[in-house]
Amino acid sequence: MSGSGIPTWEDVARDHGRFLYTVAYRLTGNSDDAQDLVQEVLLKVRKGLETYQPGSLEGWLSRITTNTFLDETRRRRRRPVDRLPADPDRVLPAGPAADVALGAEALPDDVQQALGRLPEEYRVAVVLCDVVGLSYQEIGDSLDVPVGTVRSRIHRGRALLRKVLA
Amino acid sequence: MSTSFGRGRFAGRSHLGDALSALLDGELSPGQQETARAHLVGCQECTDELSAVGQARSWLRGLPQVDPPFGFYERILLDRPVVAAPLGVRPGLRRRAGIAALAAAAAAVTVLGVGSPAAQPVNPSMPQLVEAHATSASVGADLLSKLAPAGVPVSFSR
Repeated sequence: MSGSGIPTWEDVARDHGRFLYTVAYRLTGNSDDAQDLVQEVLLKVRKGLETYQPGSLEGWLSRITTNTFLDETRRRRRRPVDRLPADPDRVLPAGPAADVALGAEALPDDVQQALGRLPEEYRVAVVLCDVVGLSYQEIGDSLDVPVGTVRSRIHRGRALLRKVLA
Repeated sequence: MSTSFGRGRFAGRSHLGDALSALLDGELSPGQQETARAHLVGCQECTDELSAVGQARSWLRGLPQVDPPFGFYERILLDRPVVAAPLGVRPGLRRRAGIAALAAAAAAVTVLGVGSPAAQPVNPSMPQLVEAHATSASVGADLLSKLAPAGVPVSFSR
């Protein structure tokens, strides 16, 4: 930490590098994009572009990372070359009724791939909840959306992910 | 707690919908939990949905941490661009760049039939070897990344 209590990017890289990279990798789904995302986050930290709020440093980093990711996603979407449609019903065929194979295992790579097929808003919500471990309120604050929206996105994200892997 | 994922209201009775995830995450008040549990006792549909999202939740929470590529942060901290500029133009890296590029240069030169440059005796230190390795690893990264598990340092540039 610097004297002012604001974490420097060296602090972040040294003490939270693995955490930061993990979040970036879960959001982007590949190493190249994860590296780009981490570098962008560190650049913002370095330039003091993000206001540090004393509290959980990892929560703060997660917020910067997810918002940088979403900004980039929106920027890309404005280009004509397009990505997956955001409407889940177009992404996925309707699954059969939940005759769930309980206790089934899923490989991390398969889970990651399924995560990558979720609309970004859902993906960000489940990553913040299940990978980072933030509360709904913290997620709502990070994304600047109401808690009810957070709850809905998390639930839909999980339900979709389960469908993809079923 | 009136919406239900993908199914909406059923026979005039509302399902738990996203309250199911909130239940799993401890985000319901004690009163809401009680109501939700009471509903689950009589509703197979919500019970199935609870297992489905619970399974997805476990999978996500079971995901391991991912290591960044070897030397990733070190290069950032040394203020060297990870998205590589040509090695030769980076100050302080000329000698290292020479070593790293030697093999590739020699191969190219040989193909052109110009002959090898005069070999300089080199005794690279460990950091130099690491740098050379990192540089060469970016060649053919696409192939490597398909073979290597996540987190293995195979790609250092786009």
